[in-house]
Amino acid sequence: MRNLFLLLSILFSLSAFAQGPMNFCTDELETFPVLAQGREKPLYVLAGDSIRFITGEKKVGEFSAVVAFCKLSLKVFGMPLELPVNIRVDHVDVRKFLGVNENTNSVPVNELLEKFDLIQGEIRTQKENNSYKKELTKVAGRIQTYKAVISGQAWTVPVVENGKVSFLTLAEFLSEDRVMSARGSGNPVQVLIDRAKADYLSAKGDDYLLELKYFKLNPFLWALLLSLAAIFAFVLTKNRNYGIALTAMTILLQIAAMTLRVLISGRAPVTNMYETVMFSGFGALILSSIITIYRKEISFILAGLGYNVLCLMMMKFANGMLDPGISPLVPVLRDNFWLSTHVTTVILSYAALALSWILANSILIRDSLGKLKAEDYRYQVDLTYTCIKFGVVLLAGGVILGGVWADYSWGRFWGWDPKETWSLIVLLVYMAILHGKGTTWIPPRRFIPLVAGAFMSVMMAWFGVNYILASGLHSYGFSEGGAIFLGSFFILQIAILIVTRFKVKQAA
Amino acid sequence: MNTLIASYRKVELFFGNLKFAVVIVSLFAITLGFGTFMESYHGTEYANRLVYKSLWFMGIQFTMFLSILFAALIRLPPKKHLYGFYTIHSGLIILFLGSYITYEGGVDGTITLTPNLPTRQITLNEDEMRIQFPNRGKEVSVTLPFSAFETNLKLDYEEIKLGRFLPFAKEELNWIPVKIADPGQTSSRYKLFNDQFGETLTLTLHPMSDFNNTLQLGPLNVHYMPASLAKCFSSQEEHGLIVWNGENRGCMAPTKSELRRKKSSTGKEIVAINFEGKEIAFIPEMSPLPLNTELSLDEKSPYRIFSRKLFEQTPHLFLFGESAAFFNKNTGKWETGFVSKDKALELPWMGFKVLLLETRSESYPVMRPEYVKPVQDNSQIIEGDKKAVEVFVGKDTFWVRSGEPVAFNLNGEKITFDLTKKNITLPYEIVLDQFKMDTDPGTTNPASFESFVTLFKGNEGSEKHHIFMNNPLKYKNFTFYQASYFQSQEGPLGSVLSVNFDPGRPWKYLGSLLLVFGSIWHYFLRRKTLKSGGARA
Repeated sequence: MRNLFLLLSILFSLSAFAQGPMNFCTDELETFPVLAQGREKPLYVLAGDSIRFITGEKKVGEFSAVVAFCKLSLKVFGMPLELPVNIRVDHVDVRKFLGVNENTNSVPVNELLEKFDLIQGEIRTQKENNSYKKELTKVAGRIQTYKAVISGQAWTVPVVENGKVSFLTLAEFLSEDRVMSARGSGNPVQVLIDRAKADYLSAKGDDYLLELKYFKLNPFLWALLLSLAAIFAFVLTKNRNYGIALTAMTILLQIAAMTLRVLISGRAPVTNMYETVMFSGFGALILSSIITIYRKEISFILAGLGYNVLCLMMMKFANGMLDPGISPLVPVLRDNFWLSTHVTTVILSYAALALSWILANSILIRDSLGKLKAEDYRYQVDLTYTCIKFGVVLLAGGVILGGVWADYSWGRFWGWDPKETWSLIVLLVYMAILHGKGTTWIPPRRFIPLVAGAFMSVMMAWFGVNYILASGLHSYGFSEGGAIFLGSFFILQIAILIVTRFKVKQAA
Repeated sequence: MNTLIASYRKVELFFGNLKFAVVIVSLFAITLGFGTFMESYHGTEYANRLVYKSLWFMGIQFTMFLSILFAALIRLPPKKHLYGFYTIHSGLIILFLGSYITYEGGVDGTITLTPNLPTRQITLNEDEMRIQFPNRGKEVSVTLPFSAFETNLKLDYEEIKLGRFLPFAKEELNWIPVKIADPGQTSSRYKLFNDQFGETLTLTLHPMSDFNNTLQLGPLNVHYMPASLAKCFSSQEEHGLIVWNGENRGCMAPTKSELRRKKSSTGKEIVAINFEGKEIAFIPEMSPLPLNTELSLDEKSPYRIFSRKLFEQTPHLFLFGESAAFFNKNTGKWETGFVSKDKALELPWMGFKVLLLETRSESYPVMRPEYVKPVQDNSQIIEGDKKAVEVFVGKDTFWVRSGEPVAFNLNGEKITFDLTKKNITLPYEIVLDQFKMDTDPGTTNPASFESFVTLFKGNEGSEKHHIFMNNPLKYKNFTFYQASYFQSQEGPLGSVLSVNFDPGRPWKYLGSLLLVFGSIWHYFLRRKTLKSGGARA
């Protein structure tokens, strides 16, 4: 390695190699093909994921993720490239343990590198898998990722031999022999990297660049803006055609975005929390559009757009909880038929129930403000009931499809796995409300608060099993950081129920 | 007759009532929610034993079944607008019946396939106590209750009695009193720790204890010895020899002048020492036993010799109750020190310290299973993953733990006890030819699990099958699914298949279909909507 550094130093001045006119680390590298986490993808995605994971930021100082990733990777060759890399440490107790500045969650990487063994030791002594231990594990993972980057292990380079593509780490790829052989025609590293990319393109084509387009287009941000514009158009203008046109554009854009994602991943877009949130917002919009056409009632489409906005905002701003990355599936999920039937049906049912939740809460709030007449209230109850009908039928179908898939994959129709049990609980909660609606126990004034509250069971089945219960056969969907979100949702919903109830009582 | 009809009407009204449906559906939902939290805190098996497969939960399900049945019956004769409703309820009734058929007649187990080893045993989920009498060629099996709590079995067979069954147990330290306290059979507990590690050590010299007088912790060897030997370890003699008497635990670390050395005819060094008024000769490099007058090893002698030099290359800690000795490589000397409850003794390895917790001579330590609610953390059971049955044979009492068969000698007859899973035998054999696990490119994440098996069907020959996720093998009512894998002792990976026979399957599928179609019929094919009272219609 030292020889290679000397060689590189002799062939090019350091400034020429790293910073000067022959700048190697530029954003042009973003289209370079790499293999990471089991998938071939553009360097843009790998660099972005790595830098975001290590630092929690999109950039390192003034450098884009790609440039920073490249510069850090070149450290393996002894290049004196100091970047202000800070590792993210969210937990205050972990910052205390590490003896770093407790007032910021960005800790300079040099302060942490030598404490890696200390962190590992602390993880081992923690018996309980609490948030402290999880954060320690995450910090250790961030340090490891940083070490992998600066040792040239994270960046992989395609090597084509006899038409077959294999990948070497950058440290392996930039061997003395290769660099020597590329002498004479400019920056040898640039030549080798360009050649590797050209060889890859001729062997496998440029399909992998779809992912670059997908992430660069940021289609869901545009869908969020369009959804908001559609809501404003419906609310603020008398001509509904504007709202309808904007809604149609949102739907088309989301279809295009999901199609792109399907083409990249080769599977139905419902395999992790990020994708289920994405699909449920879209599903709610489609369902609400259909019901609007069927019932000729604008409230549905407004509820659908509102829910879609909430989902798109979560996708945009809750990346700690919802990972937008595309990863290979666990073996049991590698069945597109069941993925695109069971999971989509269940998520669609949650979407329908989400519509009923939005409508119920809007009724509660409007009623508490005295803006609903008695006959309007009854009419609104009927609208909510329509959404629940869709929800329970789809959910019953989804639960049963899940049973059939479980029977097909695991040999039992029903196994009381927490995810399947909670989907049944949701069905039972709504069935209890629907049965109760036919009795004196649940008159319309009690029906709406119950429907608003019942959505907490959906959230428990959808997020709570993964973030709170965190066990069972559906463990592939597990991720961290959602418990606070879920707790906040429950508190907010209960607060709405209490406040609106209090206001209605006051008015009476 | 009229009274009978009136009674039936009352029952029908009670169970078929909408309000009753609301109550039972809500109760069922709450119970399920409780079950999922139990599973999260205490694991799947505990939740199954406590909730999902308990009698009371089946009672709730049966009550639901009655509610569904009577809700349909009470609405007869058929009314056109309720066709969807009848279909839903028929579907649910059929689903319940299908589940009951599965419960009564189904088989759900696993088959563990070691590469190239014919297998026909299916392991079921139920626990049983297997008592074997090899001399008589007899075996008795007792199915253990599927309870979440400690149960007294109260079962007798000849001179054998089965007492408590602990479905979830952890080993707890118990002290068994001795009749006469012997200072040479003491037991001690120590805490060995540094900044990153801590471990409690239980060591004993008592022969009846479940514990030993030595143990290994990574590269460190710990030896527990009688307190009277401590003084001999402080000697700094270069030869490092120590002699002790196993009967009275006396010891001696002879000085150089007290050792007389000579060569044997085979060139080995004989060491003679005057100890306790006796001249004792050893060949230390050959054996710790002394030589007798015929110059052969005297196995009956209470005297032993050993060289501390053997314990200088790797870390060895000698504990003598309240004192300790070790060789410090940094100083090149043997060091001794006091170990107390208040002050830890510093050791020369990785900042380790040792602290005395207790020393007893009037009792000795044993491990006894105690019932405990299992604890799950990070999808792993970290406490309570053992099962145990208390066994009384004649005057003796002992515990049989899951996975640890016990052999007992009763009046010269060998009896073995094994707490294990029930199993059934297939009428054909399966051989795992190869287990293959592919990983995602460039990672160690599994991408697929595949078993290549040969099915030997007796007179019908054999056939090859390829089992992988979502592609089970179906043969003669049984279906084999890829479930897991393990590292076999021989090296290659072995495979675990889940095995299933479900006679209720067609009914469950039929019920499901009716439920879904009924729901669509009930909710969407009978249109009835309200018109808005406001201007937004």
